[in-house]
Amino acid sequence: MSGKIKILYVDDEPENLVGFKASLRLDYQILTAVNVPQAIIILNEHPEIRVVFCDQRMPGKTGVDFFEEIRMTHPLPVRIMLTAYTDVESIIDAINKGNIFRFVKKPWIEADIIWAIDEANKFYMANSMLSVKNDELQKAYNELNKFAYSVSHDIRGPLSGILGAINLASEIDDVEEMKEMLFLMEKSVKKLDAYVLSMHDYYSLQRGELKITEIDFNKVIDELKAIYSVLAKINNVTFDITIDQGEVFRSDYAPLRLIFNNLLSNAFKYQDRNNKSKSVEMTVEVKNSVATIHVKDNGIGILGSHVGEIFNLFYRSNSLEVGSGFGLYNVKSALLKLNGQIEVQSVLHQGTTFKVTIPSI
Amino acid sequence: MGIEFSFIVIDDSELDCFVTQKFLERTNKSLIIKTFQHAQHALEIIQKDFNENNSVPTIIFLDLQMPFMNGFKFVEEFEKFSPEIQKNYKIIILTILSSSTNPIDIHRILTYGAVNSIVEKPLTKEKLVLLLNQVRADI
Repeated sequence: MSGKIKILYVDDEPENLVGFKASLRLDYQILTAVNVPQAIIILNEHPEIRVVFCDQRMPGKTGVDFFEEIRMTHPLPVRIMLTAYTDVESIIDAINKGNIFRFVKKPWIEADIIWAIDEANKFYMANSMLSVKNDELQKAYNELNKFAYSVSHDIRGPLSGILGAINLASEIDDVEEMKEMLFLMEKSVKKLDAYVLSMHDYYSLQRGELKITEIDFNKVIDELKAIYSVLAKINNVTFDITIDQGEVFRSDYAPLRLIFNNLLSNAFKYQDRNNKSKSVEMTVEVKNSVATIHVKDNGIGILGSHVGEIFNLFYRSNSLEVGSGFGLYNVKSALLKLNGQIEVQSVLHQGTTFKVTIPSI
Repeated sequence: MGIEFSFIVIDDSELDCFVTQKFLERTNKSLIIKTFQHAQHALEIIQKDFNENNSVPTIIFLDLQMPFMNGFKFVEEFEKFSPEIQKNYKIIILTILSSSTNPIDIHRILTYGAVNSIVEKPLTKEKLVLLLNQVRADI
């Protein structure tokens, strides 16, 4: 049933409705109404109606009035006038006021109706496709806007800072001062480098196809463990990993690694500097073809009002630490590719826990 | 003469704060420079310093593109201070000008009384000397 196109037919004569329904119900899902108020109720209850037929002459509201009204309130269904009255005035009104798609003369023949429905359906599909594309374009446009800001702030910013430092260098004689500046320059270069890397991640995620392989989480983590254990030692953070994988798991390695890398990187980055017992805990459990990953830190946490925004492109909740605003957005994109989910629980000044679930493919 | 100017540098980049500060130190040996990576903190200090009856003319070097409170917002907030506070300060916008910077915004920010001029990064010694002369003429 659900595969059939839904059609509404409005006519004040019940026998017309019965006839219409009888000849078309096998190919379409036909809903009928004997007056305008009833038709509006049906339209509200069935937003997926694609085509609306209406008789012109009805007591109370005319077909043109009805179409004029729903053109505003229910713009999606395609409007077709079905009437015996073909005087020029009503045709002009139907076109100008009701903005109808077709005009079918009564008594109708089945072929005309089917042809009208076919054409109307194509028109409906094209329109809805257009609105989907419009939404996508709007989204792409918004990202481009943010990208333009980001290019000047995150790429030109560090570059102009370094250029300024080079200008200043000719004025500096003191070695300690020079060293201090070189340290800050290095930080800027690293920040720029991290930004370019995550931009690369962003584009490969948007474009690439999935490459499904068998995943051994121990191997995935071993590689990252080497990097983050060093970081843990330097910053005096307790770092614990538990992996429990008793079954085969299939997924794409690259986005998976990106998810682990970003979540771990954040957990170490957003630590509370004054905390005496800093910790990062990661658990991976594969069960019933689903991998559940927890990454937990006892760092600075995220302000409640910021939690909803952290997955947005270029959003940064905290300016104290080096962040590009790409990280969690990339995590979300990667999860979208892998059909996974992410949840976050965070308390300001107490820490943040990310929970990720990914199904085996 | 004593101290001619005191300075506030507001920029979210640590390196940019450092560079501006060092250039300033080279124009004059005895001066007070405060640097802020958050515009909000600078506002708080400006408010507090006035209570201590500070009357040395202060030049603010302000970046425009910053997270949380950007330069435009800072100027808007600054304009809410009483005229007694405002008259002690001159703001110099030190920023990256790019095609994504809205020219209307730039035009608008220059209409504020406290904003003296706008300079493109990076800062150089020559630019700084010109700027300070400009501020002296403005006072």
